[in-house]
Amino acid sequence: MSLFPKVGRNQPRMRAAWWMLVIFLCIGVALHLFPFFYMIALSVTPAHETLSPTPVIWPKEPTLAAWRLVFELTTRSSMDSAVRDLMSYPFYVYLGNSLFMALMTLLISLPVTSLAAYANSKLQRGPMARWSFLFFIGTLMVPGVVTLIPSFLMTRNFPFPLPSAPLIPGTDDPFPILRIWDTPWAVIIPGVFNAFNFLLFKGFFDTIPDSIIQAARVDGGSEFNIFRRIVFPMSIPVYAVAAWLQFGAVWDNYLWPLVVFQSPDKIPTSVAISNLMNRFVQAGSTSAQQAAAQTASMREILEAGLSWNGLMVLGLLQTIPIFIMFIICREYLMRGIRLRGLK
Amino acid sequence: MTQIELRNLVKQYDAQDQVTLTGYKGEPALNRINLTINDGETLSVVGPSGCGKSTLLKVIAGLEYPNSGQVIYNGHDFTEIKPQDRGVGMVFQDYALYPTRKGRGNLSYFFEVHQRSEEEEQARIKATADLMGVDFDLLLGQIPDTLSGGQKQRVAIARCIVRDPNVFLMDEPIVNLDAKLRERTRIEIKKLLRQFGITTVYVTHDQQEAIFMGDRIAVMRKGNLEQVGTFDDLYYSPANLFVAQFIGTPPIAIVPAVIENGQIAIETTRWTLPSHITLPNGTVRVGIRPEGWRLDADDGISMAVRHIERIPTERAAFVIGTIAGAHTSIVAPVDYPARESVRVTPDWEQAIFFEDEGESALHTPGVPDLF
Repeated sequence: MSLFPKVGRNQPRMRAAWWMLVIFLCIGVALHLFPFFYMIALSVTPAHETLSPTPVIWPKEPTLAAWRLVFELTTRSSMDSAVRDLMSYPFYVYLGNSLFMALMTLLISLPVTSLAAYANSKLQRGPMARWSFLFFIGTLMVPGVVTLIPSFLMTRNFPFPLPSAPLIPGTDDPFPILRIWDTPWAVIIPGVFNAFNFLLFKGFFDTIPDSIIQAARVDGGSEFNIFRRIVFPMSIPVYAVAAWLQFGAVWDNYLWPLVVFQSPDKIPTSVAISNLMNRFVQAGSTSAQQAAAQTASMREILEAGLSWNGLMVLGLLQTIPIFIMFIICREYLMRGIRLRGLK
Repeated sequence: MTQIELRNLVKQYDAQDQVTLTGYKGEPALNRINLTINDGETLSVVGPSGCGKSTLLKVIAGLEYPNSGQVIYNGHDFTEIKPQDRGVGMVFQDYALYPTRKGRGNLSYFFEVHQRSEEEEQARIKATADLMGVDFDLLLGQIPDTLSGGQKQRVAIARCIVRDPNVFLMDEPIVNLDAKLRERTRIEIKKLLRQFGITTVYVTHDQQEAIFMGDRIAVMRKGNLEQVGTFDDLYYSPANLFVAQFIGTPPIAIVPAVIENGQIAIETTRWTLPSHITLPNGTVRVGIRPEGWRLDADDGISMAVRHIERIPTERAAFVIGTIAGAHTSIVAPVDYPARESVRVTPDWEQAIFFEDEGESALHTPGVPDLF
């Protein structure tokens, strides 16, 4: 607790302030943990109980029915066709999509971003270093939603952010384009350069004394070798923080995948779960016949025991990989967070 | 064995706060430096902070490229050669050890990047460890963070010598150590330098250290090389007022005086100058070292004693006062009795005469023939 001075803790006022701080932090922790607790509690609550007007803190008869049902649903192994057809593909397809996209993004983005930050911090000099830094950081100031449409057009006609590819001057042929729309690359490529991670890396590289780099140069290391053998081992905590932040960002990204994916077998879990919830919650229909069919299937599902409890299970499934990632990087994350004082 | 020659070096930093749209804001960090460092010689570079001495070292190492001028190693133009290929060894002020590598890893990086054989690496590290002293092996197994300042410095020096460099470059290597350790490390480095006989450039802001380490001393100020020479040269024949004031502790007293037909007057006291010192009439500034005064002389000028600083370890005392507005220290015997005022007269044979306006020396006594 470097927040709080060690000297004079026994002073009555200091002690009071200390306990105030402890209480404040405990409230903060509780506020953060309560949603998770509520998700878990609801996920083991029987379906009819979740719909009761009095909120359920912990069910009278905890049941794993929802978990079982979601398992059947996501593996499409249910006998009940209504349940089975809620999801067009088994859950592991979406899970695989999400994992592929998140890991590929990390694999490409971390080297690109960190090398860019290293070059900006240690190799560029003079006003150019400043300008390129401002340029990259400037991309943080534009909200993603603003560039949604041009970005979408770009995935259609990569690399042109236009509704259709322009013609090669003097001919009737359009420029060759790459259509990355409706492929995982539409999610991966925009994530290759991450301005926030750039800032994170640059901030860390700035703290490495120039003399270490210079000593390595005098020792005869090429610039890349210096980065790989001297700088990289020093920066592992920062890599852990950057990897975790970006993994979470890609995993939880919803709007962009919703825009760029059309084929139901290519969507990530975030979109798949949200589709399922939509289908489930708003049961919207256009014809009386459809409505009747849907109500019937809804009743079936409810009878099978699926309600908010099932949604909570899906929500938990969505959160678990980020937890796993956190546990993998935990030690470095803690060091990195202390290092940079963020989050 | 390497001789280094610097010709007309100009270095202007291009950091953002140093440049305007049309040019540079400040003075260059190095301004037309011409210097030859002889084979096997140790050259100390001294000067106040910000005078460009570290820049000089970096230009020699190739870590900074000069804007104009040449760096010549053994007659070959090395100006554009990368630091990786110059074969220099450098010790930094902050040690600059690789924090994730143990002592041994710090030493072996050079061999890794040069793809030398494992045996050669082991042999060289062992030879270096033997050279660095008995307990050096213990330091090789430790991460730099766990080492003390002095130990880090030893590893840094070992990393510098393990490769058999052409040139040693030392950038204030012992400034961060405490006084006692500094003394000891200084002697160790000196011993190593003598053992190797490698061309060395030793940068420091401490003149004692410069005198101790260097065969020759270069004094720098604001990017200019003021004077290069042995300590005696600098002490007895400084090129200008700055060098005279920079070298010597306690500092030289600079007293305004008037010369008239072979006579010199400080305030109202007059002396006859020795016949071999011929200076034109007019005002001058006389620089007199602490040992260049005679105490209790009959023809002396009266100086009010501010206090007497006794240094028993040196068996000496300094009588400190003001003469004609100039701060003056005078060497006295350690048991010199305390008193209100003292009559002192300069030893004109040892005095250095400077222009009244400007800084250059009009007359210097030259190195005395001691033996």
